[in-house]
Amino acid sequence: MNANVLALLLRPAPGQNSVLALPVVAFGVVTTLVLTVIGGAQSFWGWTDEFAPVYQALAAIALVLLVVPLVSLGGAAARLSARRRDERLSTLRLLGVSPAGVTVATVAESVLVAGAGAVVGVLGHLAISPLVGMIPFRGEPLGFGAVFLSPLHIVAVFGGVLVLAAGSAIIGLRRVVISPLGVRMRSSVSSVHWIRAVIAAGAVAIAFVLIKVFPSVGSLVATIAVLAGVFGAVLAVLNIVGPWVLKVSASRQLRRAEQPERLLAARIVLDSPKTAWRQVGGIAMASFMAVFAGTGVALLDVMGGEGATASDIALADDIRTGLVITLIGSFLMVAASVGVNQASDVLDQRELHRSLHHLGMPLETVDRARRRAIMSPLLVTAIGSALCAAVVVFPLVGIALITAPLSLLTIAAVVAVGIGVVWASTWATRPLLTGAFQAA
Amino acid sequence: MNIPVIEAHALSKNFGSTRALAGVDLAIHRGESVAIMGASGSGKTTLLHVLAGIISPDAGAVTFRPAEGAPVEVTALGESARSRLRRERFGFVFQQGLLIPELTAVENVALASMINGIRRQDAVQHAAAWLAALGLADMEERRIGELSGGQAQRVAIARAQATGAELVFADEPTGALDSHTSAEVMDALLWSTTGQGRTLVVVTHDPEVAARCTRTIAVRDGRIVSSAVAA
Repeated sequence: MNANVLALLLRPAPGQNSVLALPVVAFGVVTTLVLTVIGGAQSFWGWTDEFAPVYQALAAIALVLLVVPLVSLGGAAARLSARRRDERLSTLRLLGVSPAGVTVATVAESVLVAGAGAVVGVLGHLAISPLVGMIPFRGEPLGFGAVFLSPLHIVAVFGGVLVLAAGSAIIGLRRVVISPLGVRMRSSVSSVHWIRAVIAAGAVAIAFVLIKVFPSVGSLVATIAVLAGVFGAVLAVLNIVGPWVLKVSASRQLRRAEQPERLLAARIVLDSPKTAWRQVGGIAMASFMAVFAGTGVALLDVMGGEGATASDIALADDIRTGLVITLIGSFLMVAASVGVNQASDVLDQRELHRSLHHLGMPLETVDRARRRAIMSPLLVTAIGSALCAAVVVFPLVGIALITAPLSLLTIAAVVAVGIGVVWASTWATRPLLTGAFQAA
Repeated sequence: MNIPVIEAHALSKNFGSTRALAGVDLAIHRGESVAIMGASGSGKTTLLHVLAGIISPDAGAVTFRPAEGAPVEVTALGESARSRLRRERFGFVFQQGLLIPELTAVENVALASMINGIRRQDAVQHAAAWLAALGLADMEERRIGELSGGQAQRVAIARAQATGAELVFADEPTGALDSHTSAEVMDALLWSTTGQGRTLVVVTHDPEVAARCTRTIAVRDGRIVSSAVAA
């Protein structure tokens, strides 16, 4: 395909501005969050005192935790960008462009949109860094200079976002059949096996034993490192078992569904439990960590009352602050990911929604179904992961509940607010759905 | 066939500067199958949408006379009332079927009844009976992506009938099918509508489809230019 044809194809069509704006905003949110998360973490790397390794180890754990929802959000942004051009892809094939040519056009457009979004994201990072810099650690604010990234880091993140967009566009193309007669999704049903549950139960049991053994030996940093390893392993297991749990839960809801929206919601989840998990999986990490680390912080509080030094007390306070920030970050990313995925789905199903409107199907039925298809897996994930973490740190969680209930309740409140934010994000795309229904 | 099941009077509709309907009068009787033909942009789909209450005309009136109950002036109804009318009294078949891909065949058909308040078990039983009657007895649990174009279209026909619609509107129902499948789908559509004493209004480009209807209306520049009853 020559450059002139490519330029013609990449030019936005009149009236497409709002459709084009969505993926730009999505990539902007991704870029801002990545820059801000890395910026926050890097502020600890300048420290050199005896507690610095503890802060750095915990910051590394927080970074790992935030990677999962970030990748999910990045993928959602890329898919949204890819779907809006579906209609043009079949025309390209009809005009004789090869599949490789279609790939070039798709990747070029995705990278352009991502680039525009990344510029917006850098501005977003610049705008919110003063606020992030006000967060206190060790009794004083981090400061704008500590959390704002260097130009080199910004360029690296910018490049990473473009690579993510290009990669997701190519992967996205593998999921659709592009023929001269149209673009359609491949109709395979994704399946998940019960063996995932067996693996998960075994891994949680091993984690339980390790948690009991390791904290009694070695230094604080070594203990954190071991805990981080166990933590990472359990999270990996959650990723294995999560889709299976969602499938079982949705199958149960399907059997009991009497209302149309419940039937539809259960089927949406069952259509691809892995997709449902990808959307809310970030919450599994956040919820697991909330109980896991929340218990630790609560116990540190108790120890603080028994002759701990000022540094110990400050460390406990800072771990709680870091925990709350990581929770907020996770929920914001999941909320953004849900919003972007929903926008993408609505755009993808415009024709179907128009036909449902013709049939007289109420907008409310479809709207409730899609929201339920998000919130039901979200609640199952949040509660299931919290229970999983409670098993791993049992009986410490019980002790923490009795001795420092306020600390745990604060974290539970953050989780509850986070779930509320995700719920609110499902409403944000309602106008798009309404538009699809009204376009007779 | 003396009482029109639906009647249009002096319908006009403009989209910007384009005149889609220019004073259309039409009466369709119970048990009729009426083909609306015309070139692209002639106004035939707009006419179907106005008759079905999907869009409102700029001027004129559409009156629906159900078998039981008082006549309903479709054009005087608000959006939600028209949606309800379409949901409860009319059936629709589109060119691409446009079924919900996550649901199975039987669930797609049953969903329309469930929205109308029918219990799921009853709705599914009724839907399964319609699918069986249309030759899809062993395909109930298949997802839409696992069906051929003709099979998906028959599911759409079953969906249009499951709520007991007196009047079925079809927009190019065979437009995406080969001639053999097209004939099968028309068999199913006619059997399930006029074969059961119901009424069918079908927009089509295909003269073979029109030839199987009891009447063919030709539309040009937003006006009905001929109405021919089949011999």
